[in-house]
Amino acid sequence: MVAAKTIVYLLCHPNQLRSIVQWKVWHEPVHRRDPSKETPTEKSCFHYLNLTSRSFSAVIQELNPELLMPICLFYLVLRGLDTIEDDMTIDIKEKEPLLRNFHNLMEQDGWTFDKNGPNEKDRELLVHFDDVIAELKKVKKPYYEIIKDITVKMGNGMADYALNAEHNTNGVNTIPEYELYCHYVAGLVGEGLTRLFVESKLANPQLLVREDLTESMGQFLQKTNIIRDVHEDYLDKRRFWPKEIWSKYVDNWDDMFLPQNRQKALNCSSDMVLNALKHADECLFYMAGIRDQSVFNFVAIPQSMAIATLELVFRNPAIFDSHIKITKGDACQLMMESTQNLRVVCDVFRRYVRRIHKKNDPRDPNFLAISAQCGKIEQFIESIFPTQDPKKIAAGVKNANPATKDPGMDTSEALFLILAVLVVLGLVGGLMVGTAWYFGARFDMVLNDVQSKFAGNALSTTGSPSAVPSTFGHEEL
Amino acid sequence: MSSEKKPSLGSVMVIGGCGFLGHHVVRLLLRDYTCSSISVIDLRCSRNRRPDSDGVSYFEADITDASKLESIFTQAKPDVVIHTASPAAQSNDSVSHALFKKVNVDGTAAVVEACRKTGVRALVYTSSASVMSDNRSDLINADERWPVIRGKDQSEFYSETKAAAEELVLAANRSPESPNLLTCAIRPSGIMGEGDTMVLYHMINIYRQGRTGVQVGDNNNLFDFTYVENVAHGHLLAARALLQTAASSIVPLDHERVDGEAFLITNDSPVYFWDFCRAVWNAAGSPMGAEHVWILPRDVGMVLGYLSEVFFAVIRKPPTFNRQRIIYSCMTRYYDITKAKKRLGYKPLVALDEGVRRSVAWFLEQEKEKK
Repeated sequence: MVAAKTIVYLLCHPNQLRSIVQWKVWHEPVHRRDPSKETPTEKSCFHYLNLTSRSFSAVIQELNPELLMPICLFYLVLRGLDTIEDDMTIDIKEKEPLLRNFHNLMEQDGWTFDKNGPNEKDRELLVHFDDVIAELKKVKKPYYEIIKDITVKMGNGMADYALNAEHNTNGVNTIPEYELYCHYVAGLVGEGLTRLFVESKLANPQLLVREDLTESMGQFLQKTNIIRDVHEDYLDKRRFWPKEIWSKYVDNWDDMFLPQNRQKALNCSSDMVLNALKHADECLFYMAGIRDQSVFNFVAIPQSMAIATLELVFRNPAIFDSHIKITKGDACQLMMESTQNLRVVCDVFRRYVRRIHKKNDPRDPNFLAISAQCGKIEQFIESIFPTQDPKKIAAGVKNANPATKDPGMDTSEALFLILAVLVVLGLVGGLMVGTAWYFGARFDMVLNDVQSKFAGNALSTTGSPSAVPSTFGHEEL
Repeated sequence: MSSEKKPSLGSVMVIGGCGFLGHHVVRLLLRDYTCSSISVIDLRCSRNRRPDSDGVSYFEADITDASKLESIFTQAKPDVVIHTASPAAQSNDSVSHALFKKVNVDGTAAVVEACRKTGVRALVYTSSASVMSDNRSDLINADERWPVIRGKDQSEFYSETKAAAEELVLAANRSPESPNLLTCAIRPSGIMGEGDTMVLYHMINIYRQGRTGVQVGDNNNLFDFTYVENVAHGHLLAARALLQTAASSIVPLDHERVDGEAFLITNDSPVYFWDFCRAVWNAAGSPMGAEHVWILPRDVGMVLGYLSEVFFAVIRKPPTFNRQRIIYSCMTRYYDITKAKKRLGYKPLVALDEGVRRSVAWFLEQEKEKK
């Protein structure tokens, strides 16, 4: 049934279908893993990668062989941590040491964990975690140290949040708290990845100096997800939208979801989108530092998806009562465009920024600030790929001679155009009248008619002047 | 600003200090700086005048009157001169052309001369970002490397006179006649704010006449509007930098020098042209979104503009609507102000949306008072 619906949808949207076909047929990965040469534990790791990640598994498996295993394992370790953190059936007293010691556990040969609740979706990964541990032992030392360092930070961060009663009952309050939360769940991952990219010489070492750029990459993705998932999180009784923002629009968080407050909720969501958009230019800047095509694809795809998702959720009331996603066709097109170069990704960003700007509503209190933020992103793109060259413009001004004429319409040209139109009209009209006359039309009668009409009008000075011509007219017809 | 020690600018003279920009310069001088004295020259000193308690001295004079100017300079003994005086660029006939030439070019020449004769150390001139525009072509993220458009390429005579004056001022920097006079020029784009009678006046008029329902072009054209306080701030940063250069014994390196240079100043936040208009209309009370807006393609607008020009030519009146207006509303014109940020340490003090809120509130207040 669902499949039938999808087929009908795609038949009605040929562009979407085309994008999907293009991606499936023409996408040629830069690197492809070779399962025939893999050990059973390696195979097992990729099996769990496919099982636990829908969005990342494909791009990870196309990574440069140098980083393929390290990043796959990095993902699985963090996913393992997440599976413990997420599981509400594990008591906090048991959970805290697990989170804080995870970096030690992942060094114990044969360690597995089967105390996850039966409904925890990724419990299988921890049940077979010994395979991940076996592979971690083979990872080059510098890469391993990075993975371990981030695991320590992430585990402690998760434990702190799990113990933080205020956060768990009331959610996030201030904007700095919101950004700190995003730092723990996304910024840290970004930090680890950047260090791996630079360590493997696949990215500009400057990226380690500009930590703010890495941070923006994570913040942009996480904030976008938080905006999109607002309804899902609401049902799960979790809130990540900071009170500092939503309290400007409603008094209680529950009020956001009341139909009569839709306008306020929309304005609040655009405040959130504005806050997320602040990272977009730094994300583009970060991507300029990547030196390897497969790594570029790996970082660019999620970013393009994020800007498209922001456009989708912007001023979209549906986010407050359902879970919305970009279409499969759009996703395929975005993946095509994100696996080329920075210029194409910049074009994607500009396209979506302009769509956001088109949806912007003057009645929204954030209207001009959003317009300015869109402008800022466009200006940044212009600064890396300038349209105009001052040298050429200066040369053009100097050489301005009569031969390079104003491309606009000047007066004589316009007059000539109007004259030409009149002549053509006259010719065609004359031709028609002439043809009619040739076939026997009696113009003399029409003329007489008109004359008598005018005469009739002039005579009927009294009575109903309008009635006279109308009766005449009807009879003649 | 108040907690830190306010920087000193010595004795400061603001020419045009009762004008739109000039009186904000005076206000900022009083708020953010310490000055041994502040004096103002303007044609009329009754409007935008500070209360006597602020200790500003006002001199009524026409800047084209060189001898009067010189005697005021001798009396006020300024170290710094901020020259903001310029006629409003509203009309485009031969009478106003003569006025533009007289005030902008001859007046500025007289100011430069007075500075030279009375030992002024720093002269900051208010130029305009429009000197880089030919009023047809887009300016996309343009910076100071872009050429100044002069002569027959410059279709607006106002901009031509501003460019000529800027050239005069910059040529006077460390010139043989007065090696101690340092000068620079500020090129603001689209100034608006309290006291504005141009940008906001026209935009609010359009709203009052119920003409917000038409948009010409696709509204993807970015434009730089600048809140007046930020422009004034840029001027004073430039004055301060010139004084610092004057006090130093070495000539600064090319990539950090301020004297003899022109600086673009904007709010550092270009916005889509019609978005700015709508923000102004909504601040002025419009309850409308953008659903009612009818989008007119630029080419259609050009034809209508042309027909309007023909019509007004026939009835022998200046057209209220013409092709140039269509061009302006569809033109991309925004600037890269990295130079001002790096060399002057410039950063806008007030964000654009806050600037619009303040300016429109002021405008509505004025209207109320008039009634």
